[in-house]
Amino acid sequence: MSAPLLEMRHIDKSFYGVKVLDDVSIDLFAGETVALLGENGAGKSTLIKILNGDYTRDSGDVMLDGQPVHFAEPRDAEAAGIRMIYQELHYAPELSVAENLLLGRLPHRQGAFGWMVDWNATREKAREALKLLNVDIDPMTKMRDLSVVEREIIEIVKALSRKARIIVMDEPTAALTPPEVQRLFGIIRDLCKQGIGIIYISHRLDEVFQIAHRVTVLRDGKHVGTHPIAEVTHKALVKMMVGRDIEERAEVRKNAAAIQLGEVVLDVEKLSKQGAFEDISLQVRAGEIVGLFGLLGAGHNILTQTIFGVEKADSGQVRIGGQVVQIASPQDAKRAGIGFVPLDRKVNGLVMGMSVRKNITLSNWRTLAPLGIFSQGKEMQNTHHWVDQLGIRMAGGVETHTRYLSGGNQQKVVLARWLEANVRVLLLNEPTWGVDVGARSDIYDQLEALAAKGLAILMVSSDIEEVLTVSHRILTIYKGRLTGEFMQGDATQEKLLHTAAGGVS
Amino acid sequence: MQNTATAAPSRGMMPQLGRWLRGERLTTLNLFVTFVIICIIFASQAQFFLTLENFVNIGRTLGVVGIVSIGMTLVLITGGVDISVGSVAALSSVVASILWLQADVPLFLATVIGLLACTFVGFLNGYLIAVVRINPLITTLASFSIVRGLAFVLSNGQTNQLNDEAFKFLGRGEIAGFPVSLLLMIALYILFFFIMHFTQFGRNLYAIGGSPDASRLAGIAVRRHLLIVYTLSGFLAGLAGIIIASQLASSAPRAATGLEFTVIAAVVLGGTSLSGGKGSLIGTLVGVFILRVLDNGLVQTRVSSFYQDVVSGAVLLLAVGFDQLRLRLTSTFGGKS
Repeated sequence: MSAPLLEMRHIDKSFYGVKVLDDVSIDLFAGETVALLGENGAGKSTLIKILNGDYTRDSGDVMLDGQPVHFAEPRDAEAAGIRMIYQELHYAPELSVAENLLLGRLPHRQGAFGWMVDWNATREKAREALKLLNVDIDPMTKMRDLSVVEREIIEIVKALSRKARIIVMDEPTAALTPPEVQRLFGIIRDLCKQGIGIIYISHRLDEVFQIAHRVTVLRDGKHVGTHPIAEVTHKALVKMMVGRDIEERAEVRKNAAAIQLGEVVLDVEKLSKQGAFEDISLQVRAGEIVGLFGLLGAGHNILTQTIFGVEKADSGQVRIGGQVVQIASPQDAKRAGIGFVPLDRKVNGLVMGMSVRKNITLSNWRTLAPLGIFSQGKEMQNTHHWVDQLGIRMAGGVETHTRYLSGGNQQKVVLARWLEANVRVLLLNEPTWGVDVGARSDIYDQLEALAAKGLAILMVSSDIEEVLTVSHRILTIYKGRLTGEFMQGDATQEKLLHTAAGGVS
Repeated sequence: MQNTATAAPSRGMMPQLGRWLRGERLTTLNLFVTFVIICIIFASQAQFFLTLENFVNIGRTLGVVGIVSIGMTLVLITGGVDISVGSVAALSSVVASILWLQADVPLFLATVIGLLACTFVGFLNGYLIAVVRINPLITTLASFSIVRGLAFVLSNGQTNQLNDEAFKFLGRGEIAGFPVSLLLMIALYILFFFIMHFTQFGRNLYAIGGSPDASRLAGIAVRRHLLIVYTLSGFLAGLAGIIIASQLASSAPRAATGLEFTVIAAVVLGGTSLSGGKGSLIGTLVGVFILRVLDNGLVQTRVSSFYQDVVSGAVLLLAVGFDQLRLRLTSTFGGKS
């Protein structure tokens, strides 16, 4: 076999004496997709940033086509044909696709009008670039009018339009629906056929099995192993990433079969909102976890927002513990005993520049500050109680700003806040987006423990594995209407996908 | 790298204070160094500068800017801004003097009504920002202009004498050798320091400035908090206006012109972020002190008054710029893996 396209060998990197990469090696051949796996903090981003010239390595070699290279800054890596596609896309939403594709190098007119942009040429160039991937998008569409997957595709087109050899994708499917993921995978396979090497970072193992040829796993800054995908199992990968066996959910489930359900706590009756959902009736009992599964945009996210008072319903009513409650704002919802874990915890869930302690106690001043003045000792005590109970891990203690926590720990802080506020109903929106395998399993355990203590949980998710794993009962929603109901034992992926796509159950 | 904080539950206010000092230490340190450098320069140039008498003089000038800066700090922490404070300060004494001189309202009552008028202006600012949702800069730019105009309309452009011994006590009086306005300011700082660091209300202001969306979804009444904060800012600006009138023994519609810039400069110098969620009253107090010392020192060293504004601006840029540089250094070298 010829020399690999890329080789990174024995890479070391420390920050302030703390080793974040310890003798890590990875290689990539032309036309191949290598999945880079590891929990948050395992060193994936550091490794990628070294490849990209963002960080300099302490020791080790980076070789392209067998030749040692040194990238002092991202520009050097780009010149060598290395392209990054980050999780958070960077684009100008008000500009057209063509302008975004050619940003900084728009073609200009000839002659006396050389200072003017040649819009015809811009359009043509953009169209040619889009043809590389057979994408049918009008180059004059504004970026913000595209769907998320389309924006991502534009980002890939942008990467390709400047002679890419290696493309690094960091969780490219985080915001995509299953059909969109398949569309992206089609494109990745095309890229491989063109001889491009792809490093694919994802937390979703099922995707890795679909798209990767080989997989490299990092844990705590060390290289755990590299294997052809055909030679590893799902379970083995998880063990490599987490460093321990994660109990199979099915086992846990069997034990939980005898769950005691209490009274109906959340009772939604004929709730409708124009253009979002219609005639939704559902009940959640104390001790029950109800999963609401739908594809993105099916209306389930707006439904929970409406129950929580963020959006207004047009008709219908909500009862909590048998009492009709009027919820016009999140304050009303909180007063009624409802907690809400929003979709985007970074923007909506947490105050990132505030400490873990302050975020946890943000919603509970009824008992912590009855006269408006905080009881400091009690606040500390309660904070530590939840940190221990939920296993929230952070480097600098409870005064660490939530910004510096991993996704899973951030989510636990949001959970802790509502538990601290002593709610009876918990609404969760996509609770494990961007959360790694170990922490995900932790959160599932917590949800079960909370339900066992009598909390009524309604979990909205577009992740079918998650819904199947956690819920006692599953509802499916399609275009704003409930289309199916399954008990835990009867639900299968096929049935859920069928009804969530509008099929009759 | 962060210090590993103790995991043991700590009790009472002292640990809280300790934590607070740790978090703000570097910003405060920068300020302190700036302050000492300024003092050394002035002391070497003017003999009178480093005397107790001079510092009492400086103390006399702190009250007005100091009091308005409290409201401004709160407003900036919520992520807003209030540039109407200078105009509102002029309004209080104009209303008071008109009522006293032309309607024979007792001066004390007239002063209270003047303060109420300013409080109401603050409330209107808050209503437009929190409920109607007009941008704070635009809202207070409009009221900056409207209120100043009203002060001229009401007073007919005239300066009115306010020669009343009791009234002058606020601005000129002393208790145990300390200027009354300074004592009032210190009392207010203690009160608001307590509110900002030990009450739910103060905590919520930081949360709202840090993330309005997350605060709302955490069940915080964001609108009510904003309303209160702008109302407070109006009240405190009105109070400062009364102190100015008391010091001058007269009310003038053009009083406190440009006060908003001095105040914003002091607050930002004190480490409060214009983007909200971050800031402290202690920083603000130090910021106010630095600006006042700077003014005083420049007069002492006989620097042309034309240069004074240039120097104030340069110090602001230096202090804030240094802080930015520090932030950039820590984020580059202390970045997460």
